[in-house]
Amino acid sequence: MLTIGKLADAAGVTPDTLRYYEKEGLVRASSHTEAGYRLFGNEAVQRVRFVKRAQSCGFTLSEISDLITLQSSDEACCGDVRTRAIEKKLALEGKIQVLQKMSRSLNALLEECSPTGTSHPVDECPILAALEGATAE
Amino acid sequence: MKIEIFAARGCKQCATAQDALHAVAKTIAPQANWRLVNVLEELEYAVELGVMNLPSVVIDGTLVFNSLPSANQLRKELERRKAAA
Repeated sequence: MLTIGKLADAAGVTPDTLRYYEKEGLVRASSHTEAGYRLFGNEAVQRVRFVKRAQSCGFTLSEISDLITLQSSDEACCGDVRTRAIEKKLALEGKIQVLQKMSRSLNALLEECSPTGTSHPVDECPILAALEGATAE
Repeated sequence: MKIEIFAARGCKQCATAQDALHAVAKTIAPQANWRLVNVLEELEYAVELGVMNLPSVVIDGTLVFNSLPSANQLRKELERRKAAA
């Protein structure tokens, strides 16, 4: 059995992170010491690693909780998990498209501003002028 | 009319739903172009349309159902579009 500190060391997270995972229902203590300290089984190390890997793929803690529920559901199949992964990919690709659009907008602003004119007063700044124009539209 | 079902290969729910919805579409709009889109093969197109959940239904280039509609919901939508045309 592992105390919260030992579990944190074994799984490569901080005790605060574990407390947060506990609060979100992702990890549960399996027993307590006589002094009332929570004790975790060795399977908790695997669970925390699962949560961390899922987070690195972009899943939120709530979505990870759903994945864990699916994992223990008799009615769920691999296709259900795959669908969740594809939906996450759609969300990420959507965010990437938005970021790329922002980046292109910045390119357009930067084209307005010649590097040789950077010492001009700020009220002549073409980037600010372009943004003001965009606001007025 | 163009009806596109965005789904993932291997999704049992998608396949079952598609059959029921296709039957409705054939009844209400027999001339409609029905297309099953494998979301992983046309990811960019799906993202442009705002598809976030599977299966999703796009009609004439607009995301109409971002979760599985019932046969009745699709029937009502197709009838509404037919009446508006």
